Amino acid sequence: MADKPIEGEKKAFMTGNEVVAWAALAAGAEIMYGYPITPQNEIMHYWTRLAPKFNRKFLQTEDELSAGFTTIGGVLAGKRAFTATAGPGNTLMQEPMSMAEMMRLPTVVVIQQRGGPSTATVIYSQQEVTMTTYGGNGEGLRIVYSTSNHQELFDYTIKAFNTAWKYRFPTFILGDGYQAKMRESLTIYDPEVRGIEMVPTTPYVLRPGQIGVNREPNHLRNTYNTEEELYEVLQKHISAYNEVAPEIVEYQEFGTEDAEIVVVSHGVVFRSCKGAVQELREEGLRVGYFRPITLRPFPGEQLRKVAERARMLLIVESAYGQLAKLVKDAIFGCSVRIEGLFKPGVGITSEEVVTKVKELL
Amino acid sequence: MSNHELPRMPKSWRLESKPHKFCPGCGHGLVLKALGMAIDELGIQDRVVFGCDIGCSLLAWDFFNVDTIQTHHGRTTPVVTGVKRANPEAIVIAYMGDGGGYAIGSQHLVNAAARNELITAILVNNTNYGMTGGQMAPTTLPGQKTETTPYGRDVKEAGYPTQGPEMVAAIAREGAYVARGTIANLKQLTRFIKKALQNQMEGRGFSFVEVLSACPTNWRTNAKDTWEFVEKEMTKYFKVGEIKVPAAEGGETDE
Amino acid sequence: MGEGRIVEAFIGEYASGKSENAVNRALMLARAGRKVTLVDLDLVEPFYTLRPIARKLEKEGVRVIAWETSETMGLGEAGSVLKPEMRWALLAAGDVILDIGYGVHGAKILNMLEGVDQTPELKVYAVINIFRPMTSTVDAIVEFVRSLGRVDGLINNSHVGEETTIEMVCQGARVVAEAAAKLGLPVIATSALKPLAEKIGPRDCVGNPVWPLQRFMDASFW
Repeated sequence: MADKPIEGEKKAFMTGNEVVAWAALAAGAEIMYGYPITPQNEIMHYWTRLAPKFNRKFLQTEDELSAGFTTIGGVLAGKRAFTATAGPGNTLMQEPMSMAEMMRLPTVVVIQQRGGPSTATVIYSQQEVTMTTYGGNGEGLRIVYSTSNHQELFDYTIKAFNTAWKYRFPTFILGDGYQAKMRESLTIYDPEVRGIEMVPTTPYVLRPGQIGVNREPNHLRNTYNTEEELYEVLQKHISAYNEVAPEIVEYQEFGTEDAEIVVVSHGVVFRSCKGAVQELREEGLRVGYFRPITLRPFPGEQLRKVAERARMLLIVESAYGQLAKLVKDAIFGCSVRIEGLFKPGVGITSEEVVTKVKELL
Repeated sequence: MSNHELPRMPKSWRLESKPHKFCPGCGHGLVLKALGMAIDELGIQDRVVFGCDIGCSLLAWDFFNVDTIQTHHGRTTPVVTGVKRANPEAIVIAYMGDGGGYAIGSQHLVNAAARNELITAILVNNTNYGMTGGQMAPTTLPGQKTETTPYGRDVKEAGYPTQGPEMVAAIAREGAYVARGTIANLKQLTRFIKKALQNQMEGRGFSFVEVLSACPTNWRTNAKDTWEFVEKEMTKYFKVGEIKVPAAEGGETDE
Repeated sequence: MGEGRIVEAFIGEYASGKSENAVNRALMLARAGRKVTLVDLDLVEPFYTLRPIARKLEKEGVRVIAWETSETMGLGEAGSVLKPEMRWALLAAGDVILDIGYGVHGAKILNMLEGVDQTPELKVYAVINIFRPMTSTVDAIVEFVRSLGRVDGLINNSHVGEETTIEMVCQGARVVAEAAAKLGLPVIATSALKPLAEKIGPRDCVGNPVWPLQRFMDASFW
C-alpha cells in the first residue's frame, strides 16, 4: 500500500472532478459516501479507483439523503468524511445538511452545479447558490467556497476539511459542470510540503474510555421541546458563526479604487469577468472586479466599501439573480446602481461582459 | 406473562432521565427495557452507538447511558450505517417507528438490508403515527380508525398493512437475522434483540427486529383493551417469531 | 500511411486526449484524400465529446457517427446509449477511426461492434499523458494498459495544456517508451499541439514520429 497519495508536489493535467478526488485523498479524507449524479460522477469514479490503494473507503448509497446522512455518520465516528452531488441531488442533500447545521457537524460536500430547476441539464449552471448557502429550514450557518479553476478546486477542497473541522460548520465546495469536466493543468501537492497542517479530527461517539468510569456517554440531538431552548441553542450557534466569519471570509478585488463599474461575479464566471476587466483596463476604461470566494459567509463589508466608491455594480452570473440577492443583502442602504447580466444555466464569455460594460459606461 | 424475575432497571439505562418521557402504558419503555437487558447481557455498553428516529422513538434520545444520536425522520438507518462504515468496531442500533422505517425511510431500510449492512434496526410497530397525533401508518390495521382514516382504514384506498419483517427477509441475504417480537413476551423479545446484536457483532449480516407495541393514548384504550389489541388484533396480521435466521443459528417460532 | 484500409481505435484514461487524437487522426487521413469515418464510442460521456464539432469535421470530409444534439432529447442524463449506426461502423467502406471513452471496461466496448473478427487491420492504440496522475510512471502505465484488455500500441500525448514545453513532451516520450518496452508494444507516435510539434520536428527525442494536433476539443463542452 502506497504511503501518500501525492509525494511532494507535481504538475498534473486533469478534469475538475478528478482534482476533487485527489485533493480529498491528499487531505486525508477517510471515507466518501456518494450517489451517482452528473456532473459529479468522476469524483466517485476516481475516488473508488484510488481509495483502496490508500486504505480509504467508499459507500454507494441509495440516494442523496442517505449519502448525506451516512456522511454525518462518518463524521460522528470522527472521520474526515465527504460526499459530492449536484442539482436535484443537492436538493435532497439539504435535509442532512440542515441536521449538520443544527448539530454543527463538520461535513464536507462538493457541489458541481447543473442546470435547474428540476432535472434540467446535466451540463452547467450557477443556480445552486441560494440552496447551497441558505438551503434547508435554517439560517445558513454554513461555509461555502466558490472555486473558479482547477488549482482552486484542489486548494479549497483540502481547505474545506480544515475549515469544517476547525469551526464545526458544514462546509461546501461550490463548483459547476464546467469545472467538473474541463481539463487544465495544476500543481497537486501533499499538504505537508506546503506547510498545511490538517486539523485533527475527533469522534463524537465512542470516545476512548469506559462509560460510568472515565467517560460520559454523549447524547446528541437536533430536536428541542421549547421555543426558548431552541432560541438559546441558535443564539449560540449564530454568535459563534458571526464571530468566526471574518476569519473565514475570502474575496478578490482589482481596480476597485477608481472603478466606475465594478463587475461582481463568482466561480467559473469570474474567469470571464476577470478577462473582460483586464481587456477594458487595457483600453483605459475605469472598470474593476470584485469576486467573493466565500459565498457564505459573504464578504459584505468589503463589498460595501467597494460599492460606496463605485458608480455601478454589474453582477454577472449563470443564474437569474442568486448572487445578486447576496450582494443586495450585503450592501443594503448603499445607493450604488446595480445592473445584471443574468444567464441562468448558460455559460458567459468575456466578450459578452465587455459588450455589456461598454453599453453601461 | 411472567416478567417478575427480570431486573427492575437494566444497568445501561440512564437513571437521570427516568421516569421516562413516554405516555403511561406506552410500549416503548418495554422495548427499551428488552434492549437494555440485551446490551447488559452482552456487556457492550461502551461499544454501542444508539440512533433514534423522529416520532415517539426520539424520546429515547437520553434513555440510555450509551452514545446516542437523535436523527431525522426515517434517516436513522443511514446515520448509523455511516458510523458503522467509518468505525467497524462500533455496535450500531437504529431505533425507529413504523412510519420512519416503512414509509419515509423505507428506501434506507430496504437498501441497508440488500447491502447486508452490519447494523441492527429495531422498529416499533404501534399501528399509527403517535407523536403527530395518531394518523394512519403503513401498519394501521384494516378498518382501524385513525385521525386520517376516520371511517377506518379502507384497504381499497390505502392498501394493506406493511409486512415489514417479511419484506426485509425477502430482500436480505444469507447471514441476515429478521424477527418479529412483541411487548407481550418480553423474554422472547430480549432474546430476539440479543440475537440481532450478536448477528452484527459476529459480522454475519443485517439484523432487524420489529416489535408489536402499544399506543393506548392514540388508540384510546384502557389496559385490558390495549393488551387485547396487541395480543389478538395485531397478531392476526403480524406473525410473531423469527423470520430469517442465519443457517448456523436455527430458528424459533412462536408456536 | 500505407495502402491498405486503416482501422484504429483510440482508447485511454479519462482526459488523456483520446478524442483529440482520434479527431486529428481522422483529419490527417481525410486530408490525404482517404475516405474516413469517425465514430464516437464514448459511452461514459457520449453527448459531450464529438457532438459539438461534428459539422466542422464533416466540412473537412470526415464522416462522423455521433449523436446530434437534437437527437439526444429524452435520452435521459449522460446515459450510455449506443446509436444503432455505431454498431455497424466497422463495416463502413474506407478507413474507420473509433474514439473510445474511458471507463473500467476499457477495450471491451469493441465487443459491441459488429465485424471485429472480420477486421484484421483493426489496431487499438492507448493514448498516454504522463501528467495525468493515474499514468504518471512506467509502472502505473503498465498496470493501466494491462487493465484495458486488447492494446496494439501506445501514443505519447504528454502535456499540461498551454504551458507544455518540449522537455515535458520528451519526458513523456521516454516514460512511455519504457512502459511500451515492458509491455512488448510499439510506440506509434508522439502527439503534440501543432506549434509545439513544429518545434520538436518530425521525430521526438526517442525517435517516435510526431503527430501535430489541431485543437478541436476546446470547442466542445469540455
